[in-house]
Amino acid sequence: VTELAVLTPALALAGALAVCLGRTPRDADRINVAAAIVTATAALALAATALARAGEPPLRTRWLEIDGASGVLIAVIAVVGLCSALVSPSYLRTAGRSWFTAARSRRAYYVALHVFWAALLVVPIAGNLAVTWLVVEATTAASALLVAFTGRREALEAGWKYLVLTTLGLSVALLGIVVLAIGQARLGHTGLGALDWAELERAAAALPHEPTLVAFVLIVAGLATKIGWAPVHNWLPDAHSEAPAPISALLSAALLPTVLLVAWRVKSALSAAVGPGTAGALFIGFGLASMIVAVPFLWRPLPWKRLLAYSSLEHMGVIPRGHSTRPIPSADGSPRGATAPPRCGPPSQELRALLRLRGPLMFVLLRQLAATRRDARLQRGGPRSLAVRHVDAGSCNGCEHELGAAASPLYDLPRHGLDIVASPRHADVLLVTGPVTTRMATALRRAYEAMPEPRLVAALGDCALGCNVLGDAAELVGSLEAVLPVDIRIPGCPPTPAAIAEHLHAGLGRGY
Amino acid sequence: VSGPVVTLVLALGLGVVVVRRRSFAIALVAAQSLALGLGALDLAGERSSEFLVASLVLIVKAVALPALLLAVLRRTREPRLVAAAAGPLMRLSGAAAVALAAVALVPPLGLGEPYAGQAAVALVLVGVTVVIARRPTLFQLLGLIVAENGLSLLAISVPGGLPYVIELGALLDLGLVVAVAAAFTRRIYEELGTGDTELLRGLRD
Repeated sequence: VTELAVLTPALALAGALAVCLGRTPRDADRINVAAAIVTATAALALAATALARAGEPPLRTRWLEIDGASGVLIAVIAVVGLCSALVSPSYLRTAGRSWFTAARSRRAYYVALHVFWAALLVVPIAGNLAVTWLVVEATTAASALLVAFTGRREALEAGWKYLVLTTLGLSVALLGIVVLAIGQARLGHTGLGALDWAELERAAAALPHEPTLVAFVLIVAGLATKIGWAPVHNWLPDAHSEAPAPISALLSAALLPTVLLVAWRVKSALSAAVGPGTAGALFIGFGLASMIVAVPFLWRPLPWKRLLAYSSLEHMGVIPRGHSTRPIPSADGSPRGATAPPRCGPPSQELRALLRLRGPLMFVLLRQLAATRRDARLQRGGPRSLAVRHVDAGSCNGCEHELGAAASPLYDLPRHGLDIVASPRHADVLLVTGPVTTRMATALRRAYEAMPEPRLVAALGDCALGCNVLGDAAELVGSLEAVLPVDIRIPGCPPTPAAIAEHLHAGLGRGY
Repeated sequence: VSGPVVTLVLALGLGVVVVRRRSFAIALVAAQSLALGLGALDLAGERSSEFLVASLVLIVKAVALPALLLAVLRRTREPRLVAAAAGPLMRLSGAAAVALAAVALVPPLGLGEPYAGQAAVALVLVGVTVVIARRPTLFQLLGLIVAENGLSLLAISVPGGLPYVIELGALLDLGLVVAVAAAFTRRIYEELGTGDTELLRGLRD
């Protein structure tokens, strides 16, 4: 089992390295799928082995602790990770712009995905609190890049919020771990082994109450930012809705419950020092706050990924109630003896009531998702018309001449649903002509910012496409690409009215 | 750790809340890391392995990370002054109030010198205050490093020291997070033309 436990994350890391060897995007896709299948096979074998010995005491070595909970979480991470890796190529084929250049985009995505997956696979089997913290922190660095992968303004906002909030939270958790290390050092337990789960559990009764309580509260409050518990959940709906769908799945279904397992291990290990009532009360407090925040959002007409994020938050609110179920004492009377593995008692009355409440909540969630799907079906293929806002960023007016001809009755743009409007606030497409002059760069950005989402940018003519028609004058910024992300390219000096009509028409339904 | 070093580290942290220029704030954080690193080297004494770890932490936090941040600074020149959420005096009062509250409320953490524990908690909270009170992305990134320096202050006060695995692992994680946050800072600047996080407030329910 220990060899398999070491091999599984190592395979995921090897997958990250192997993806770098792919020369073309297609190679990267294939290597990603092959590496994901190998990693998931090893992880499922590990999960099966861990679950097969769930009735026995946890397997503890210098670095590992493998029990039934590890098995369940490894299985979940393996399945969700495999599904994410398998659907990622089709997501990347249809995805528009990204943070990275087109040549590096796929490799960067797959490397971050496999490193994130590897770190997630280590968390449930790590046998030491400090090592677990290090790996949880590593998941932040890898996944923040994935959250902001599209490079859109909203994705950057979500990624930045996620990075800053969870890093600060984990700093608070590390503060608690150092306080715990001080308590252990006073008992004469030093070195990394003093923070092993088994060692903490053994020494808990002798640890001083007050500093240990401070450490426990700091660790759980710090981990709460990563679990997404209210009131430190602000990053969760944003990151889940802005991340690519395969990454949202990993965040929701794998990251949150895995970090919750860490909080549960801290509670199990320290409950003798903190008092089981106090530890349970903190969990229930976070859980209730999360439910109070999340449940009202299930009635609101939100985009489906935001709706699912609030559903995740609500799940994280229910799970602590289950954690507070007391384990059945072992034969020798100790709550978690070495001879008998912990077994949960029957669910309490409150938990049963809470679980009964989940039926109506699931009904509300499904009804909302159905409504979102209905709206999406109505908009399938994008709108049948596009409002175009034209901005002259320094053109010689040749392109304007042809654009005017394109709007004439001969080519008849309005008849095809393309209308030139007077304000960027009403526009779907920003049509730019001319090389961008330094004085027009800010105006262009402002016009772009004023447009509602989703929005497209079209470069009309060779000057806007950066073909250096007017040379490298100091007054020119360069191509439009240097200022705004370009979605539609219309080459020509100037392009013919037919070409303008054809390219703009092809923009119908894009980006929606 | 001696009292003057703790006071200096805390004062430098409060300085980050107040100063206007990003380059000056980076210098303050570098000086804070340097003071902490020298304190750790002093404690390590003759033991070669501890000396090695403390030197590595010193080089990374006081030299490599500030150099990286200065490189980011050079590529993200602000076109105009980023409007502050509150005046410098207000920010300083807020941060000082948070630090004093930490000193008053945190119970003894079991260290021989209680002021080291209180100062460490206060410094972590000052780091949180920097993130809340400063709008530019680079200042928020510096807030993360100030909070990490608070942890380092507590870590070098632990009797017998923290295990090397934790020290080096935390350093590696800090390096990774700062590198990713620096990449974010550049990308946000490219997208918005400024590093003002006030413009990143579009996602709300």
